[in-house]
Amino acid sequence: MPDRRPRPPHPALALDDTVHQRVRLGILTVLSETRECKFGTLRDELGLTDGNLNRHLRILEQADLLQVIKGYEGRRPCTWLRLTRQGRTALRAEVAALEQLVERLRNAPAEEPETDT
Amino acid sequence: MSSTDDVWTSDDDVRPEETLAELDRLRTRTRTRTHSGAWLPAALVALLLLASSALYRAPFAQINSLTIDHPYWAGLPDEQRHPVLSYAFWFVAIPLLVVVTAAWYARRARQLGVRVAWPVFAATGLGVLLLLAIVAAVPKTKLGSDGMTADLPTWWWQGLLTPLLPVAAAVLALAWAERSPGLAASGLWITLLTVWLCGTLPLGHIPSLVIGLMDGGTSSYGGQLALRPGHYLGLMALPLVVFAVVRGARAWRLHHA
Repeated sequence: MPDRRPRPPHPALALDDTVHQRVRLGILTVLSETRECKFGTLRDELGLTDGNLNRHLRILEQADLLQVIKGYEGRRPCTWLRLTRQGRTALRAEVAALEQLVERLRNAPAEEPETDT
Repeated sequence: MSSTDDVWTSDDDVRPEETLAELDRLRTRTRTRTHSGAWLPAALVALLLLASSALYRAPFAQINSLTIDHPYWAGLPDEQRHPVLSYAFWFVAIPLLVVVTAAWYARRARQLGVRVAWPVFAATGLGVLLLLAIVAAVPKTKLGSDGMTADLPTWWWQGLLTPLLPVAAAVLALAWAERSPGLAASGLWITLLTVWLCGTLPLGHIPSLVIGLMDGGTSSYGGQLALRPGHYLGLMALPLVVFAVVRGARAWRLHHA
C-alpha cells in the first residue's frame, strides 16, 4: 500500500537564488567572519576581478544583504563591506538548506532514481 | 589574503557537499586571519592585572593587621599604599589600554583589510569604569578587617565597586568581538574571582556553606585561603597569559608562513 503521508518539502526549495550563487555565498561567508572587510581583500580572497566582484556586490546590496561603506584611507578612496542582519540570517538559512540537501542525498537509496510521475 | 581556490570562479557544477566543505575552509581561513590579533589586548589586560599588585602595601607577604578603604580602588579588599594612587592607576591605565588597543586594531585593519568589533571592547571597558566612578561617588566607609562590624546585606554589593569589574566586562566584550571561547572563559574567571574576593571579607574567605559541603555536611564557621592580593591577581591573569602566549605563537607562525 503506498504511503500517502505528506512528504516534507525538498530542501532544494529552501535555497535562495540570490544567496546560492557560489561567488555570493563566498562573499557572505567571508563577511560573516569580520565586522568589515575591504573590497580589495575580498577580491583577492575569492580570486575575482574588480568588475566581477562589483556585479555580485550590487546584487547583494540591492537585496539588503550587505552594506557598502565608502571612505578614504589617507587620500586614497577605500571601500569597506559589511554584512547586514538580513545577510547573516540568509547565509545561515542557506547553509542549513545545503546541509539538509547533503543529508538527504546521503540517505537516498542508491538504486532508486526519483521520478516526477 | 591570497586566493588559493578557484571554486568561486569556476562555472562547473559543484556538488553541495563540496560547496559546504569549501565554505568551511573559507570561513576557517578568514576567522584565523581576522582574529589572530586578539593576543595583544589579552596580554595587555593580563599585564594591567599583574601591575596592579604594586598598589597594595603588602601584595605577597602575610601581615597581622590591615586597614581597608572602601571603595576598593586598588581592586581587592586589602590595604593599599594610597587610595589616590590606586584611583589614578585604573583611571589612567584603562583608557591607555583602550588607546593602545585601538591603534593595534587600526594597524591590523590597514594591513589585512579586515576589521573586528573592537569598539565594543573599548565602550564596555570605559563605560563600566565611568559607571563605577558615578556609583562610587559616596562618602568612604572604613571596613573592619574581620568583617564582624559591617552591615552585611549592603556590604556584599558595595564590595563590587572595584575597578576589576570594568576589566572583567572588557574581557567579556573582547571575547564577543573576537568570537573567542578562551577569552570568554577568562572573563568569567575574572568575574567569578572578583565577586568572591570583593563580596566577602576577609580576603579569600570561604563561606561556611562551602566548608560544610567539603566536610560532608557538618557545620562550620567558614575558612580563609592564605593567599595575598598579588597571588589572586596572578590567578586572575593566568588564563589571559596562556591565551596570549598560545594565540601569539599561532599569529607569529601565520605571519611567517
